[in-house]
Amino acid sequence: MTAETRKKILNSLLTPILAVICGLAVAAVLILITGVNPLAAYAQLFKAGFSCAEFKRCNLFTTFQLATPLMLTGLSAVVAFRSGLFSLGQEGQLILGGMTAAWLGYAIHLPPVIHPVVAIVAAMLVGGIYGWFPGMLKVRLGVNEIISTIVLNSIANLFVLYLINFPLRADRSTTAHSLPIDETARLVAFASGSKWGIGFILALLAAVLVYLYLWRSSPGYEQRMAGQAPFFARFGGIPSEQAAIRGMFISGMLAGLAGAIQALGVHYRMLDGFSGGLGFDGVTAAILGQVHPLGTVIAATFFAGLRQGAQVGLQFSFKIPRELGGGIIALMILFVAADQLFRHHIDRVDALWQRLRGKTSMKELS
Amino acid sequence: MDLALEMRSIYKYFPSTQVVANRRVDLAVKRGEVHALVGENGAGKTTLMNILYGLVKPDEGTIYVNGQEVQITHPDEAIRLGIGMVHQHFKLVPSFTVAENVMLGLEPNSLGVLRKMEEIEGLRRLAAEFGLPVNPTARLRDLPVGLQQRVEILKALQRQAQILILDEPTAVLTPQEARDLFTVVRRLAAGGRTVIFITHKLVEVMEVADRVSVMRRGELIGTKLIKETSIREMARMMVGREVLFRLDPKPAHPGQTVLDVKNLVVAGTGGIPAILNVSLQVREGEILGIAGVNGNGQTELVEAITGMRPVEGGAVVLLGQDITRLPVGARRRAGMAHIPEDRMHIGLNLATSLDENLIVTRYKLPMFNRLGFLLKPAIRQLSANVVERFAIAAARPGDGIATLSGGNLQKVVLGRELTGQPKFIVANQPTRGLDVGSIEFVHRTLLEARDRGVAILLVSVELDEITSLSDRITVLFRGQIVSEMNVAEATEEKLGLLMAGSSL
Repeated sequence: MTAETRKKILNSLLTPILAVICGLAVAAVLILITGVNPLAAYAQLFKAGFSCAEFKRCNLFTTFQLATPLMLTGLSAVVAFRSGLFSLGQEGQLILGGMTAAWLGYAIHLPPVIHPVVAIVAAMLVGGIYGWFPGMLKVRLGVNEIISTIVLNSIANLFVLYLINFPLRADRSTTAHSLPIDETARLVAFASGSKWGIGFILALLAAVLVYLYLWRSSPGYEQRMAGQAPFFARFGGIPSEQAAIRGMFISGMLAGLAGAIQALGVHYRMLDGFSGGLGFDGVTAAILGQVHPLGTVIAATFFAGLRQGAQVGLQFSFKIPRELGGGIIALMILFVAADQLFRHHIDRVDALWQRLRGKTSMKELS
Repeated sequence: MDLALEMRSIYKYFPSTQVVANRRVDLAVKRGEVHALVGENGAGKTTLMNILYGLVKPDEGTIYVNGQEVQITHPDEAIRLGIGMVHQHFKLVPSFTVAENVMLGLEPNSLGVLRKMEEIEGLRRLAAEFGLPVNPTARLRDLPVGLQQRVEILKALQRQAQILILDEPTAVLTPQEARDLFTVVRRLAAGGRTVIFITHKLVEVMEVADRVSVMRRGELIGTKLIKETSIREMARMMVGREVLFRLDPKPAHPGQTVLDVKNLVVAGTGGIPAILNVSLQVREGEILGIAGVNGNGQTELVEAITGMRPVEGGAVVLLGQDITRLPVGARRRAGMAHIPEDRMHIGLNLATSLDENLIVTRYKLPMFNRLGFLLKPAIRQLSANVVERFAIAAARPGDGIATLSGGNLQKVVLGRELTGQPKFIVANQPTRGLDVGSIEFVHRTLLEARDRGVAILLVSVELDEITSLSDRITVLFRGQIVSEMNVAEATEEKLGLLMAGSSL
């Protein structure tokens, strides 16, 4: 392994790991303030998030279920970021995708397998179009994609709220929701007690496809070059604008898929509060995961476990508010963003590694 | 010996790039001398001067100013010790007047109210004292580059600089402006100031310096009296081997016209035409050189020909095919190659591997691409070939290129552009910032391509480069071609005048 590859790997591993440790350390202070021993709290948190007592009551399965949409919105962010567009539109694409899947889930009647496939494909298309739109605005009119995607999130959210409150409202219950989907449209769960199911496999498959697309295919190459070095891409003859729009479309499709899985495999309908911040949490998972599919899958699972652990482990056992889970995640992101804090230490670790290997170190050079 | 400055055993290691920039460098500069500091890019000149100016902290070593050991931890400290630095990229405020720039931070005032007249008067006195006339009330952005540099020098002198560091000061100047600068530098030295002159142009060293120190790979190879050295010796010290200066190109045998540019009009920033009615032809097997001072439309002309900038009027014809409206990719497929002026941001993607840098112009070819998937082994093979053929030291196919030296980066660009069997090459400032060894390599590569029958359009602000490589020469001034001549008729004097806008 060359010095450079080693350093790259070291860097992309150490930054998130150190951020996680720092995040947990700072959160420990917050736990201490509530009068609970942080070590005991963390033990409980991780047990609740990542353990598996028995097949029927497995915390880990729930974590996987919670991780599934995060993985997909995270992958959506990876694809957009890698084409140089900081799209935050996952939330809106997810809601519209979910709405599409839920509506097709009860409005049309198809045999099993075909029914969810049709609903998922349609949801991905709708999500894709909702991603393509800000991509076009950016390329043709120079509209900043951060702003346009955030605005489009609100539009999608309000539009779906309108739909389930008025034309598609199922009943007069206090929270608005649509009719439930047909049995034929449901995504199967692997074990009773959680809704961990086919969607998880789809998310992992998506991660593999995103990796192959970005790093093995020529359209992915175009997209990465346009994102990393726009002048270079233009100079080399890469159709950067097409690449950016394509990236936004794929990004939207992935978020739309996340929505479809939530609608067909978790909620079985569209309802008020459908997303609960899955879009933004996916973006944070992508950032902690170093904007790489593998890192994003791991970070999404980790986040889901923290959330689950904070709710079950901390809130139920110690009466610590479950919001702490979100707090810990936020702290970690803060430390990832401040990775310059670690950069110096990573260099030192690298230098130490070289010295141990007996390679050229500073002293020998002098 | 009266030393103005002594740096002893300076050692600096950058852990982030794993480069030892200075290896126990000893530099002694006498009072009142012009001391040239030469070396390749990456030889450690700039690091050494940044240490002296308090911008970089050395790992080891001591600095003596006027025989006193000093700790320079911040530029303020350097200024207090009488060290001034004129950076390659001026640190001036374009919207301020000359006087405001020079007096920035030292404005004469009564209780916070500026005394403008005094400021202007002060500058007049300073300018007169050093014989550096400027108009104190002119806006900086309206001044030509040569005068802006003069303002930088005045700014350092206003701060009582006794030791003046000039970092590549001639890179942005016309030959005439450079000569003016040399006069100023000599006058400052005669007046007792010490000048450290960083450059990689050895001709200038001979012209302006008293002594020269040569650096190579972080080490100070030696210090020589100018009277006792030669360009050839300095080049050998810089590169570590003999360097050919004149390549003595074989006579050209131009064939049919390859590139035909007709009445080209290109908009610049703000809608003012940057290129106005330019027509030129390049034939196969010849090099057409375009001389001119930076900023006279070179960038726009090259970008219009290569498809990176839209054309307002006129036509670009390559091998009989009208390519005026074609995108970059189609032009490249038609046989065009491009060596851009900015290899760091345009010519290369420093964030990725050598492989991915090399395939940017050909990732769609069936050789490297099957059904939309990149064929890694073929790409790896291409990289290995380029590394070998172009002798790119320290580059390995799968690795990143960010740590390569300027010369090696340019070899990566050349490797990519020349292995595509181009019919026509645009080379814009192909040797900017390179050391003599790399310049020789670039020049030889271009001449070999010409001898194979490639048509080459060479755009350069270096007159030497234009006159030693070109078969025909034109001058670009304010977006127009002002003259065309054969290389035999072109003298530096003549070209210099045309570049400055005078007619012959």
